[in-house]
Amino acid sequence: MPTASINRRQFIKLSSFASSGLAIGFMIPGLPALALSPTDCEFFQPSAYLKIDKKGKVTVYVAKQESGQGVDTALPMIIAEELDVDFKDVKSEVAPYGTLKEGEHDTGGSQSVMTMYDTLRKAGAVAKAMLITAAANVWKVKDSVCAADRGEVVNTANNKRIAYGELVCKAALLPVPKEVTLKSPKDFKLIGKAEKRTGLTDILTGKTKYGIDIKVDGMLYAVAERCPVLGGSLVSFDDSAAKRIPGVVKVVSYKGTGVPMHVHDGVAVIATNTWAAIKARKLLNITWSEGNRNTDSTDELFKTFAQKAKEKPAIEVFKKGDTRITNSKQTFTSEYAEPFLAHGTIEPMNCVASVTGENLEIWGGLQLPDWTVNTIAKDCGFKKEKIKVNLANMGGAFGRRLHFDFAIEAVKIAQQIDKPVKLLWERTDDIKFQPYRPANYHMLKADTDGKTITSWYHHVLGTPVSYMTEGMDSKHPEEMDGADKGFCYAVPNVYTGYTPVDININRGWLRSVDICVNTFPVESFIDEIAVQLKQDPVTFRLSILEGQPDFKTGDDPGAMTQSPARVAGVLKMVAEKIGWTAPRKPNHYIGIATHSFIFAKSYAAHAIEIEMLASKKFRIVRVVAAIDCGLVINPDGLMNQMQGGLAFGLQQTLKGEITVSNSRVAEDSFYSYELLTFAEMPPVEIYVIDSKEEPGGVGEVGLPTVAPALCNALAAAGYRPRTLPIRKEGFSWV
Amino acid sequence: MPSYKLNVNNTEYTVEAEADMPILWVLRDLLNLTGTKYGCGVASCGACTIMIDGNAAFGCQRPVASCVNKKIITVEGLSADGSHAVQKGWQKAAVPQCGYCQPGQMMAAAALLEKDKNPSDDAIAAAMSGNLCRCGTYHRIKEAIHYAIEELKH
Repeated sequence: MPTASINRRQFIKLSSFASSGLAIGFMIPGLPALALSPTDCEFFQPSAYLKIDKKGKVTVYVAKQESGQGVDTALPMIIAEELDVDFKDVKSEVAPYGTLKEGEHDTGGSQSVMTMYDTLRKAGAVAKAMLITAAANVWKVKDSVCAADRGEVVNTANNKRIAYGELVCKAALLPVPKEVTLKSPKDFKLIGKAEKRTGLTDILTGKTKYGIDIKVDGMLYAVAERCPVLGGSLVSFDDSAAKRIPGVVKVVSYKGTGVPMHVHDGVAVIATNTWAAIKARKLLNITWSEGNRNTDSTDELFKTFAQKAKEKPAIEVFKKGDTRITNSKQTFTSEYAEPFLAHGTIEPMNCVASVTGENLEIWGGLQLPDWTVNTIAKDCGFKKEKIKVNLANMGGAFGRRLHFDFAIEAVKIAQQIDKPVKLLWERTDDIKFQPYRPANYHMLKADTDGKTITSWYHHVLGTPVSYMTEGMDSKHPEEMDGADKGFCYAVPNVYTGYTPVDININRGWLRSVDICVNTFPVESFIDEIAVQLKQDPVTFRLSILEGQPDFKTGDDPGAMTQSPARVAGVLKMVAEKIGWTAPRKPNHYIGIATHSFIFAKSYAAHAIEIEMLASKKFRIVRVVAAIDCGLVINPDGLMNQMQGGLAFGLQQTLKGEITVSNSRVAEDSFYSYELLTFAEMPPVEIYVIDSKEEPGGVGEVGLPTVAPALCNALAAAGYRPRTLPIRKEGFSWV
Repeated sequence: MPSYKLNVNNTEYTVEAEADMPILWVLRDLLNLTGTKYGCGVASCGACTIMIDGNAAFGCQRPVASCVNKKIITVEGLSADGSHAVQKGWQKAAVPQCGYCQPGQMMAAAALLEKDKNPSDDAIAAAMSGNLCRCGTYHRIKEAIHYAIEELKH
């Protein structure tokens, strides 16, 4: 069978597929596996998402970037389900950059399963339908006589079987069906069963290559010294001492960039190994001009927040009813503060870049590779089609690699040397120069009729991410919406407003961005009101959740659905499982919080039991979590994400804080920006609501209710923390 | 540039490096053993944990000159096929999320079990206290160590 015709047929098939309305993505020529031109038909590849070889082994090309969230397992499971193959015959690879339509590689917002679910089911079903037709043709029977079963097609008339691997050459020549039938979820065999991660053995034997492990021929190593103040500039540098370090090849400087991706001016040492570059960097003698915004501090920022919190919000975010006219019996007011946070991925930022004439090739972990390419093309002077991207495994992301400041730097450095260069951010660079989760402040006010809340006022103050990504005239401080159209509690009058306050420090998105920022004040304040009204915090929440119908957040196509019933469902689950109504041991207190992670269509709650050991000193006895994320693809991955959310949330609650003085970040390592440790991880039980709803996201959902649940427990013990991290308020823990 | 003879994973290597180059960078950049990870360079995260003469050590803190005539074991040296008790424990507990810190975590656990085949939970917590995991896999790490302890009894 001539190879060329197979390949061409496959391409034609793929392009006709793309226009067939199946919305299954499309493939452009250049997928390496196809370009290899095998001497015989070696595999069947009906779409960009999977191929099956002659042994029946399936390779799934995963569109989303793996950073620990388990997409390299959950997404292949969806295909394997519809394809009816044994999951042990499935391996996972990153879909090569350029083989999918623009935006499909984008990884963030807990969206991977949600956005790929239908597409991957269709991709699996299409492949299965073609294999069935191929077998039916062999047996000269109708397709309807045949069925798929664990990697084989079965002739149901006589129970004869043909393995998928034996059908690949025949299936490859068939037209792609215009319509396919998907399984009924009740027939799912794989989805919903816990699967261990694909690639687990490679991780455990040290074979997995993360971006930082990539080595290309002739590659040199670089680290960079950056202008300490954003917007400052390089005046001059003396590299004579640095150049005396053996192994140093070159010292180069580069200009910073602004919107949408902020890069400081820098001086980079390029060497034959990382250590030489690190040593030489310390010997650079650099003069910077810091510019006129070099006196900003978080102390001043929070003073400004507190002062402006009393004024009218600059921007109205949401209004319902009239919060000014109420016959309030009791009015409550509270203010809450949350600091800047760093992502602290254990793999620091890195990127390999190689420039040859007008061609650029980069290797690295990038959550938004299309935006990266488009911006680098513009900022560094390349034609988009001359940029080749090789996506790498990420040693943690948490939103950090949505930003690609490090990739821009690597390219600017590589433009000045004729060899590939790997730029490494040392840990101190990671803590001092990254896009931080914005600091924020909340003024909440509630009127009550003595029984329930009649009006809710939420003034959010923050340092917008959008000022960094869109500019100071940005009108979309979306990460700080407060109680908006999706506010799940039944309150007749609501007013939410926002006041942006700028500070000369880079900002960015971090796991659970806006929802985390708002759930701490909202779930703390609800608790405060319940206690003030002498009501049980669980019963009080349920009284303004239950009975409310699901509602849409608007009429636009992007409108989301809010389900107060599901918010209540997870709350009731944790209350029951922690024994909310049972008598408590002496000095034991329980705090509780619930929420809707609206844009990932998931809901989660936490209940945390603490024991007070002394004034403001406590230990966490146990944590109970509940999640309702609709249909669960991989329960094992879900458990990981819920445990991870707890660890991440606890770090923020207890001790995570980035402080700024003279427009510089004070913290510089994990000694000063502490992560949660092995001993600090409390016992946790995780409960999953059985749901037939469509699958929601889970990567960020286990985080937002951790802080308010713990703070509500401390409040029950007599100490209400309103500032994170609680260490700032004098709390300690064992 | 000085030259050093090293024993890594029971293989003899000769490397040319500055005396103060941490063994971490010798392994990663010169020997291409990238299973040992860089995390902080200042002994604050444990990602670079290896075994030197059976003891857990931070690779970022050990100059190459101090590693001569010692037996260095990295994650690649536990086993290439995942058959070491610690790797089996990690496999059974399906520990990794991103997986980046796990080589260091496994080396810390392996070093603990070299000395004590049946450590208490307190001893486990003490041995693992220098290894950070941002993904929050600590419960599974603990579970994996218990599986490894069981494995060693057979």
